[in-house]
Amino acid sequence: MKKLFKIFAITLVGSLLFGACDKIEENEYVVFGGAAGTWYDGDGVADHSQRAFLEKYTGVRCTNCPKADDAIATAQAAYNGKLIAVAIHDSSVFTTPFVDSPDLRTDDGDAWSKALGVFSAGSYPAAIVSRTPATTGWDLFTPTSGIESRVDAIVNQPASIAIAVESKLEEGAVTIGVDLEFLQDVDGELTLTLLLMEDGIVATQVQPDGTRQTDYTHNHVLRDVITDLWGLDVEADGQTGTARFVQVKYDRYDEDWDLTKCHVVAFVSDKATKRVLNVAECEVQ
Amino acid sequence: MKKLILTLAAIVLCGSMMAQNAKLPENVTLKTLDGKTVQSSVIQNDGKPIIISFWATWCKPCNKELDAIREVYEEWQDETGVKLVAISIDDARAASRVKPWVNGHEWEYEVYLDQNQDMKRAMNVVNVPHVFLLNGEGEIVWQHTTYTEGSEEELIELVRKVAKGEPIE
Amino acid sequence: MNKKLITLLALLASTALMPLMAQGIMGGHVTGNIQMDGQISHRDTTIGASEVPEKLLMNARADILYTNGDFSAGLRFEAYQHPMLGFNSQYKGQGLANYFVSYKTQDFGITAGYYYEQFGNGMVLRAYEDRYLGLDNALLGFNVYYRPWDGVTFKGLVGKQRVYWNIGEGLVRGLDAEVSLNDVVKRWSEATTRVTLGGSFVSKYEEDESIASTIPGYKLNLPKNVGAGAVRMDLAHGGFGLQAEYAMKGQDPNIMNDYIYKNGNALWVSASYSQKGLSANLQAKRVDNMGYKSVRSQTGEMLYINYIPAINKEQTYAFLTMYPYATQSTGEMGLQGDFMYKFKKETLLGGKYGTDLHINSSIITALDTTYLGGRGTNGYESSYFGTGELYYGDLTVEIAKKLSNNVKFAFTYGYVVFNPIVEGHEGDLHHNNVLVGDVTWKLNKHNVLRFEAEWMGSDSQYDKEVDDKRCGDWIMGLVEYNFAKSWFVSASDQYCYNDGVGNYYNLSVGYNKGAMRLQVGYGKQREGLLCIGGVCRQVPASNGLTFSLTHSF
Repeated sequence: MKKLFKIFAITLVGSLLFGACDKIEENEYVVFGGAAGTWYDGDGVADHSQRAFLEKYTGVRCTNCPKADDAIATAQAAYNGKLIAVAIHDSSVFTTPFVDSPDLRTDDGDAWSKALGVFSAGSYPAAIVSRTPATTGWDLFTPTSGIESRVDAIVNQPASIAIAVESKLEEGAVTIGVDLEFLQDVDGELTLTLLLMEDGIVATQVQPDGTRQTDYTHNHVLRDVITDLWGLDVEADGQTGTARFVQVKYDRYDEDWDLTKCHVVAFVSDKATKRVLNVAECEVQ
Repeated sequence: MKKLILTLAAIVLCGSMMAQNAKLPENVTLKTLDGKTVQSSVIQNDGKPIIISFWATWCKPCNKELDAIREVYEEWQDETGVKLVAISIDDARAASRVKPWVNGHEWEYEVYLDQNQDMKRAMNVVNVPHVFLLNGEGEIVWQHTTYTEGSEEELIELVRKVAKGEPIE
Repeated sequence: MNKKLITLLALLASTALMPLMAQGIMGGHVTGNIQMDGQISHRDTTIGASEVPEKLLMNARADILYTNGDFSAGLRFEAYQHPMLGFNSQYKGQGLANYFVSYKTQDFGITAGYYYEQFGNGMVLRAYEDRYLGLDNALLGFNVYYRPWDGVTFKGLVGKQRVYWNIGEGLVRGLDAEVSLNDVVKRWSEATTRVTLGGSFVSKYEEDESIASTIPGYKLNLPKNVGAGAVRMDLAHGGFGLQAEYAMKGQDPNIMNDYIYKNGNALWVSASYSQKGLSANLQAKRVDNMGYKSVRSQTGEMLYINYIPAINKEQTYAFLTMYPYATQSTGEMGLQGDFMYKFKKETLLGGKYGTDLHINSSIITALDTTYLGGRGTNGYESSYFGTGELYYGDLTVEIAKKLSNNVKFAFTYGYVVFNPIVEGHEGDLHHNNVLVGDVTWKLNKHNVLRFEAEWMGSDSQYDKEVDDKRCGDWIMGLVEYNFAKSWFVSASDQYCYNDGVGNYYNLSVGYNKGAMRLQVGYGKQREGLLCIGGVCRQVPASNGLTFSLTHSF
C-alpha cells in the first residue's frame, strides 16, 4: 500500500511537470491579429520630414532609468517633433510592478525586447533608434547620452517615404488613417506598424538615489501594438510618387487606459531588416 | 544508385559473415497476455531449444503455421524439450483480441505482445511470419521467413539437431 | 544538414564498424536487415498508378544494429531514388534517417536519438513506423524507463518528431506509469484476478503563429501547450478479460478540426471470453476530436502524436479490403464483435479433422453533433450516446476445414457497407457482397498448390470523376505454386465484368532462403495488403515490373 502511495505521488508530480496545458477562455479564442487594413490610393503627404523613432526599454525598479527619461525629454524638445519616443516595459527583473502601482508591462513590448536582444543583454535602460543595426546585432545603447549622434544620422537624411497619421475615437473604436507617399524608389517589402502609447501615467519608480518615488509620471508608455507585432504588409509598388492610404479600426484598448492622453505611432519598416524608414504620431481625438 | 547498391551489398555480405551467434535481446519490453510488462529476458527454456515465431492475427500464413505446429507441438516437446514463443506484432487495433485468439486456436504456446514493435526491430524482422531457432545457450542459430504447408517438418529436423547439440549449416 | 555528408558518414560508420566486429575487438554483435523495393511503372489511370517521368522507382533501407550487453546502438540508412508510388514525394532523397544509442537493464533504460514508444493503447502517444505505408513519426530526443519495483514501470520522454527528412517544430513531452497490482500488493500476488492500471500524460509545445479567424483582422489565440492524458485498466480473470482506456485532450485548435477549441476525448472498451476452441470478443469505441499532432498546421498522415486504431477487423482477402476503413479521428463511434469456434474432431460438423468457424462484425457511425460555429469557436456539441450517419459496417463469416491430410479449405462470406464520405467525397452508401474460396493442396513434401477464387457484387456506381478504381461486380482467381523448398510462382487476375474496366493481372516469382527473400512481379497491382508466397505485406499500386528484396542478418 505504501508503494501504491509512492507510485501515485510520483505520477502526480510527473503529471504536473509534463501535463502542461494552456486553457483559453471562450471570449478569448480570437484576438486582434493585425489590423484589418484596407489599402487605397492616397492623396499624398504634405510634410516630407524625416523623423527618428526611439524605443526606450525601461523598468520601474531600474535606478538609472529616470536619467534616461530626462535625457530623452531634453532631446525631444531640441528636435521639435522629429524624435518620437516610446517607453517599453518588458519582462526583465526591473519591470516587476510595486504593490498598489500599475503594471506597465506588455507582451508585445516584451516580444520586441527579446527579438532585438535587449532582454538577453540585460542592461537597462537600453535604447535603439529606428532599429538601426550595429556591426553585429543591433545598435543598442544606454540613452543617458549618445542620443543626438544617432538621431542626427537619421533626421539629416532626406526622407524616402513621407508618413502622416490621424486617429479618431467614435462609437468605442479608434479609427486610424495612415497616409504614405514614396519620395524615392524603395526596394523590398515594407510593413506598417501601429502602436498605442499613453502619457501621464503615475506609477512608483525607483530613483537614482535608490528611493522610491510613488508619484513619478511615466510618459509615452507602450500600451499595445495595434497591428501584428511586425506590422501589416504595405501594399505599394515602391515607385517614386506612389501615394497610399490605409484605414484601421482598433477597439481592443483597456478600460483603464486614458485615451485622451494616448498617442498613436505609425512607422514604416523594411520587412526583412526591420529597420524603420520613417515614423509619425498623433493624438487620439 | 550504383554506389548505393554496392554499399547495401557490402552490408549484407559483412552482416552474413558474422551473424552467426547473435543472442536473443535481453532487455526489450514485451507484454504478457494478462497485460503485465516484462523484459524479453523472461524467454527461457532451461538450456533447451526455443522457437520464436513473429506473427499477427491478420497474417494468414502465420496462423497456418502456428495451427500446423499445434497438431504436433506435444510430440515435439516430448522429443526435444523445445518451447515455442509466439510474439504478436498486432497493434492496438487487434492486441486485445490476441488472448481470445490464442485460446480459440487452442495454441499452447508462450505468447507475448510486441505492440510497440521493439522486439521486432531488435530482431530485424521485416515481414511476418518470421521464425527464429535458438539453441540451449540462447543463440540464434537459424531464421526463416515465409510459411508454406509442410515447412514445419524442416523446422523440427533442425530442432532435433539443435537439441542434440549438432551444428546447423 | 548536408545530405551527402550524412550519407558519407553512414557509409563510413557502417563499413568501419564491420571489421571491428568481425575481429571481436569490441565484442558484441552486429545484426541488421535490408530491404529494396523497386518498380518500373507505366501509366494506368484506372488504378491510381500515375505516370512518372523516372523509369525506375526505388525505396531502399538498411538497418544496422550493434548490441553489446546492456548497450546497443543503431543506424538506419534510407534511400528513395524517386519514391515508389503511394509514398509521399517529400521522401525523395537519401541519408541517415534514424540513429540511436541506448543503455537498457532490467530496471532502467535510456535511449538517446530516434526512438519509438507507445503509452497504453497509443490513444495519447504512439511514435511508430510502418515502412510499407511510408509512415514514420519517430521521436528524436530522450526516452527513459524506470522500474523501481517488480510490476511498476515509469516511462518518460521528450523529443520532436520526424516528418520525411525533417524534424517537426513541436516539442513532445510525456510520462507514463503502469502498475501491475498483483505484483505490488502482497495479498493479491496469488489472486486469480490479474489487474494492471496505467496512466499517461503528454504535452505538446509549439510556438505561436498567425492563423486568421473568420472575423477580418482577428486571429486565433492559440494555445502553445496542448495537454492530453489517459487512464487505462486491464483486468483478467481466467478466460475473462476486460480492458478499457479513456483519454482526454485539452484545447487543440488545428487544421484537422478546422481550428475549433473543443476539448477532445476518446473511450475504448474491450471485453472478451475464451476457452479452448472458443473465443468471443466485443469492443466499443467512441472518439471525439482526438486528432493530436505535434504541428497544428500539418495535414496528411505525418506528425501524429497519438494513434486511434480502426475498430473493424483487418481483412486479408482482396475484395474485402477494396473499401478499407480509416479512423475518423475528429469523431466516430464503433462496435465490433468477434466470435470463433472450433467444432471438435469426430463430431457432426467437425468431421475427421475439426472445423473452424470465425464470425466478425463491426459497425462505425458518425457522432450525433450539434453545430455551434466554425473556426475560433467551440465547434460543436456531441451527445455521448447518440449516433450520426453510418460510416462503415461489415460482417464476415469464415469456415476453415481440413478435408484430408493434404487438402485444406476455407470459405468466407463477407458483407460490407461503405460510406464514401470516409474518403472525403459525398455519395450513396456502397453495399458489397463477397464470396471467397481458398484451397491449399499439398502435393508432396515440397510442392504445394493454392487456389483462391473471389467474387464481389457491389451496387457502387462507376464514376471516373470521383474514383476510377471501383466499377461494380468483380471476379478474381489466383493460383500459387510453392516448389523445391524455396520457390514460388503465382498468377492472378481480377476482372470487373459488368463494366469491363480494370483487369488486374499479376504474375509473381519468389525465392526464399532463410531470412532472405526475393520477389519479382509483373502486372497491375492495386494497393493493399497482399499475402502471397507465405508472407503478408502492404503493397503500393503499380503497373509494370516490380521487385522486392528483403534480408535479415
